[in-house]
Amino acid sequence: MRRVLVTHVESAVGRRVVKALFHDPEVALVLALGTEAEPTYLAPYRGKVAYQRLDLAKARHLQSFWHSERFARARPDSVIHLPFAGDAPGERVPGGVPSLVSETRRLVEECVEKPGIERFVYLSSVFVYDPEPGNGNVVSEGQLLGFDGEGDPRVRAWIDADLVCQGELHGSGLVMTILRAATIVTEAGEFLNSPPLARRELAVGYDPMLSVISDRDVARALVLALHADRPGIYNIAGNEVFPRSQLWSGKRRLAGLPLPSPLGEALAFAERLFARGPAPGESFERYGIVPSPRLAHEALGFEPQYRIEVRSAGGRRRVDTVRCR
Amino acid sequence: MSHDELGGSEGPALGHDPFSQGDGTLPYLIRLRERSVRRIAQARAPASARAEPEPLPQDAPDLGPPVPELPSFDDRDESAGALDRLASWLLTGADEERLAQIAAPLGGRLYDDFGMSPRVARRALAVFKLIYKYWFRVSSSGHAAIPEKEGALLAANHGGLLPFDATMIVCDAILAARPPRLVRTVVDRWAGTLPFVNVFYARVGQVIGTRDNVRELLRLKQLVLVFPEGMAGIKKRAAERYVLQPFHLGFVEESLRHRVPIIPVAVVGADDQAPVLWDLQPLAKLLGLPFFPITPTFPLLGPLGLLPYPVHYEIAYGEPFRFYDEFPPESVEDPHAVRYMAEQVRRRIQEMVDERVLARRAKRR
Repeated sequence: MRRVLVTHVESAVGRRVVKALFHDPEVALVLALGTEAEPTYLAPYRGKVAYQRLDLAKARHLQSFWHSERFARARPDSVIHLPFAGDAPGERVPGGVPSLVSETRRLVEECVEKPGIERFVYLSSVFVYDPEPGNGNVVSEGQLLGFDGEGDPRVRAWIDADLVCQGELHGSGLVMTILRAATIVTEAGEFLNSPPLARRELAVGYDPMLSVISDRDVARALVLALHADRPGIYNIAGNEVFPRSQLWSGKRRLAGLPLPSPLGEALAFAERLFARGPAPGESFERYGIVPSPRLAHEALGFEPQYRIEVRSAGGRRRVDTVRCR
Repeated sequence: MSHDELGGSEGPALGHDPFSQGDGTLPYLIRLRERSVRRIAQARAPASARAEPEPLPQDAPDLGPPVPELPSFDDRDESAGALDRLASWLLTGADEERLAQIAAPLGGRLYDDFGMSPRVARRALAVFKLIYKYWFRVSSSGHAAIPEKEGALLAANHGGLLPFDATMIVCDAILAARPPRLVRTVVDRWAGTLPFVNVFYARVGQVIGTRDNVRELLRLKQLVLVFPEGMAGIKKRAAERYVLQPFHLGFVEESLRHRVPIIPVAVVGADDQAPVLWDLQPLAKLLGLPFFPITPTFPLLGPLGLLPYPVHYEIAYGEPFRFYDEFPPESVEDPHAVRYMAEQVRRRIQEMVDERVLARRAKRR
């Protein structure tokens, strides 16, 4: 029977994970950590779930909780860490994204040192990969990470946190599992963990493919990883891929040039045609990443179960997650 | 044990604690189950048996006409489909059937993982079929070498300025092979950086030449077309027509790893469609292009000069090489063995090309 500590339970994925663990007969206790007051959704789950308000970004908060009587009694043996699970495009993270990296580093260090904790499951993103030119390229776990110093700070933070966890993959005594998720779609049609969708403009002549996954499937994958005890890095993605234009409409604008629209478009086209590479941080707007979840299927038994459909609603795009089976 | 005993004072909002005995989980689960059973029963009930909505009272205000159902993407695309109508006009029933067979593995998905859209592929086939039949007048042979269901690597010679050789092989595999197969051409990474081109290639099923892409396609038992000469094939000058350039070796390695045959494909005609007289490298470097060709018509006639001449195309599929029967997968680590295998394929394609070129010359005399 597992006793699981879950971080960032106020996020959409955190909520799904807590619910999945509650219904999991192999889990005896869920210690849910969040930065805000106890979420109301937890009320029916109190039989198995205990909530602890804690700001992981503050070292002394984590230290004091780690050595508390409450933690000692809970005796968690597994950790599911979801620092970026609630990361919606364009949304600000309190304290800045780098704080999420430092909290990940601290948490991993504490878990390595704490004898009772045996496994650590970390939710990362496929946007840590370096995108190759192309509309949609399949990437496996061996693909290089995108160490672009001038790229999106959010993506840089994801890469840093991913590397922190990778550092403990071998030899630390902790079963470390890193799940790199495609663009997460919530039931409300929100997109999480997707830098291409953070900007409304479309790059002229490009329409990269985006792989999507339902938040419920992400939660299932996390729970499977918890039970599988298979350390490693795994891509997780749903069955559907969409061009970015279908998920987020928009029009390319040339900032600072008050030109008639067709001329602006032509200039943008020329700019792209003769540019040798994308501007810093623009790679994801041009090139698509489609993660291959084959390894997750083989090692964890992960199969996406939710279908995602895109519909138009009054000129705006609405995303539905539909149960597949 | 209450939550206070767990050190509840260290964190606010602890609520009811799971360590306490006699929790309220069971009644909640019973309620949850009852609700699920109710919902399932409602969903299974026939439409007529479902509860009718409450009728509005007689004095209800006039709410106006009902809001029309919003169109889905597919509907909107369907209504705007002048290209679809054109495709319907150009394609025969047999062509449509072949396209349906190709789209079947997608199971109703609008795009595959590589961005291929059956709808765009259908439109493109309608146009390229005209080029296949009336511009290049393609004749092909050796379709028996193409496997019906299994994956394979097609290795072909490359020529001509624009990749019409790849396009004609793709059309041929759809229109002439039994059963029809979608050939996924591996294109240069540079093509992935080109606006519009990258989207079009992806929608018609072509993929960028990354190892992961090729491996995934072979795992899915697809036909993968490679041009082992690479860019050297299309930028060779007119004097080197139909002389195969040295091969890259990656395709042999993938064939050994995935135990798929290599089918040699000879294309005759492509090297005559736009003979390159000169490669203006300094200008190519300035524009960030791999090469800048000078042909009898380009850049003299502007972009129109890039159009291929209406040459007669011949496509021939040869007997497959099954190196994996003789060499174990570890052979990929032996560069001499891999080079030897690639050379075997190159020689065979060169022979097939030479045969057809000589036959053409004899015919002209």
